[in-house]
Amino acid sequence: MLTHEKHGPATMVFAGTSDNASPGLDGLFPDSLDTVERLVTCSADKSALIEELTVQIGMHDEAHALLGQKAALMLDEMLENALYAAPRSGDGSPLFPERKPRILQEGESILLRYRFDGTQLVLEVRDSWGTLTQSRVFSYLAVNTSEEEPDPERAGRGLFFMWRLFDQFYVRIYPGRETVVGGSLLLTSDR
Amino acid sequence: MAAECTVTFVREAQHEAALLSGIIDIQAESSFEAVMNRVSGSTVVFDFSNVSRINSMGIALILRCFKRLSSERKCVVQVRGLSQINSMLFKMSGIFMLAQEVR
Repeated sequence: MLTHEKHGPATMVFAGTSDNASPGLDGLFPDSLDTVERLVTCSADKSALIEELTVQIGMHDEAHALLGQKAALMLDEMLENALYAAPRSGDGSPLFPERKPRILQEGESILLRYRFDGTQLVLEVRDSWGTLTQSRVFSYLAVNTSEEEPDPERAGRGLFFMWRLFDQFYVRIYPGRETVVGGSLLLTSDR
Repeated sequence: MAAECTVTFVREAQHEAALLSGIIDIQAESSFEAVMNRVSGSTVVFDFSNVSRINSMGIALILRCFKRLSSERKCVVQVRGLSQINSMLFKMSGIFMLAQEVR
């Protein structure tokens, strides 16, 4: 079990403008009846969920095509994090470092939520591990922002991509209980 | 577009070209090992025209491959056929420090 002392306090990191974010009781995901929720049961679900999401966005024009490509990448990274980066043993080492196909363990859950209203896509993935830490979030962003020659083994590149590509981006951590990573993408974005 | 990453080698006028297709993620590791074993010339062009998505694990594979080709084999690495999103990822991750984009 993770301890507060070892892994830091409950954390919420938010990047973006707050104009379109309605915090509500449950984070930054706007409350809406038409939010789609999907429980992930295994790693093989990933490709079908990405396909479902991109079909929702459609390919009407260049802006939709780019939004679909960004959404596919963001969901890919979010699910990879939840499936392979989040599960860790008590000493913090990854449980599935080989990233082989896997089925979720008993008591483990990954929940995808998304909503597309025609101009904005809101996307969120929750895992039941809560192993990401505040310090790791900031160190991942800092190390990947470096202008030095790129290092293939650099950690946290996926989180960095999310931070750079989402128009709004948030990470909420309840240590040892839940990590929520989410954000929104606008149909017409300058990012 | 096929999901699995595949690579086809062709000989073009002045160089070798590796034509990539599909999704570049952790599953593409063997494709990039094949690239490393196959490249023998002084210049190689990687064509991403038929690549649908590259995630962060795929970017790590590309960086590893390009670094080895340029530093160990002294090979000139060039890229072409990047989509808008893949071009953004290459810029963000510093791949253009290792490989020049050509049309």
